[in-house]
Amino acid sequence: MELTRLNRNVRILNWAAFVTISIALLIVFFYAPTERTMGNVQRIFYFHVGAAWVGAVAFFIALIAGASYLRRPSKKWDTVAVASVEIGLVFLTMAIVAGSVWGKPAWNTWWNWSSVRLTTITIAWLTYAAYFMLRGAIEDEEKRGRFAAVYVIAAFVTIILSYLSIRFVNDLLHPVVVGGTANPQTGQAADSLQEFAPGVESTRMVLSLNASVIAFSFLYAAWMVNRIRLQRFMDEASNLKMRVVSRLQGDLS
Amino acid sequence: MSEKENNSSFIIPNSAFWSSVWAIVWKDLQIEKHTRQIVSVMIMFSLVTVIMFNFALEANLAAAREVATGLLWATILLAGTLGLNRSLAIERENQTMEAILMAPINRSAIYLGKVISTTVFVLILEAILVFIFIIFFNKPYWRPQVILVLFLGTIGYIAAGVLVTSMTIQTRTREVLLPVLLLPLSLPLVLPAATIVSSYMFPQLPELAEIQTPLSLVLVYDLLMLAVGFLTYHYVVES
Repeated sequence: MELTRLNRNVRILNWAAFVTISIALLIVFFYAPTERTMGNVQRIFYFHVGAAWVGAVAFFIALIAGASYLRRPSKKWDTVAVASVEIGLVFLTMAIVAGSVWGKPAWNTWWNWSSVRLTTITIAWLTYAAYFMLRGAIEDEEKRGRFAAVYVIAAFVTIILSYLSIRFVNDLLHPVVVGGTANPQTGQAADSLQEFAPGVESTRMVLSLNASVIAFSFLYAAWMVNRIRLQRFMDEASNLKMRVVSRLQGDLS
Repeated sequence: MSEKENNSSFIIPNSAFWSSVWAIVWKDLQIEKHTRQIVSVMIMFSLVTVIMFNFALEANLAAAREVATGLLWATILLAGTLGLNRSLAIERENQTMEAILMAPINRSAIYLGKVISTTVFVLILEAILVFIFIIFFNKPYWRPQVILVLFLGTIGYIAAGVLVTSMTIQTRTREVLLPVLLLPLSLPLVLPAATIVSSYMFPQLPELAEIQTPLSLVLVYDLLMLAVGFLTYHYVVES
């Protein structure tokens, strides 16, 4: 069956993701300058931001897929939404873990509830994890698609609110990517990214960051096509199972 | 039983729309007046929760006062899930939802009606809770600004709650699923709302500039959730 072989698009994206991630790794470790106060630990930041960025994009695509499903119900949109939420959740987890590893040397603690970003992102994580609880509780396929689409639209409100609170609530602990926050209390953490003000060193950092974001975007695209392909296998398998069952029942009667 | 002509998700509310909203609200209030099962369950649950927490924090009254605002919101949220479940379970048990859906009214009107009636029930609960909290914790929860924030927070919470409960009530796991879905979904609203309430707990009132950001977050959440519910509710109740 043609399903068992990777088609051309999947193969190209797999390779593109592999190559761009490898290049990003090289850039992060060899091209990006060592940060002044944090040292090598700061290199985590490139992956942290890349993963967080792709997480937000994944949830936005899930929102679009959900809205499209409601407009015109089709299995295709449901699959895209599931795949995107699933992958977005993985990227969000990566961002949280990477941030936590960075936070240990910067804040001297793995976790800090007083950081607005950490809190809102954790909330978003919980909201999207609950998406699978909802799906698991509905048997009827059409109804599952419909409810999941409504939920994924409502869940995006938490992403919007996260974004707004990151912009407008004064977060003393979490560095802002462009500009930087000067704060005597947590001087080290806040200063560490002030390099992003225009300068020779910061240009290289910005380039590294861009490379990492691009690499992560390719990784997302590759995972998406693979996940959608996987879903097709699963549907095909359950179809075949149904056919076998109905054939057997036909033989018996 | 889907009337296609009533399924359009976007309508301009006219007087017929508002009268059907009012009919739903009135129906719910009448049922509650006779049965009193939603508000009484929520109040009993809240009392038990507050007293339980008082025991847990008894050793340290200062600590209890510190966490009072968080406790107030947590109690409202948990009691709210009970109220929401009850409010929509009644419709399912008596198959009244089917009857309402047969009526030629817009689904968004049903949504708004349900949001308004459930908000009224939770507001009654909050009035009692505020009274209890003033007595137990000796904090100025009577301030009009605090009441206003409680009101705004409740609208957003119930707007999300009615939408989610209408879905969970139709699933296999029902009551169990609601808190898992609704509590994380409402946290972006409750956190800024609780921040505002805490800033009003001191003798000196905060500047408007201090609460501006959390207040606008609460308002944005309210508007977004109401809009989402308004536009998608008919996908949820259709069978």
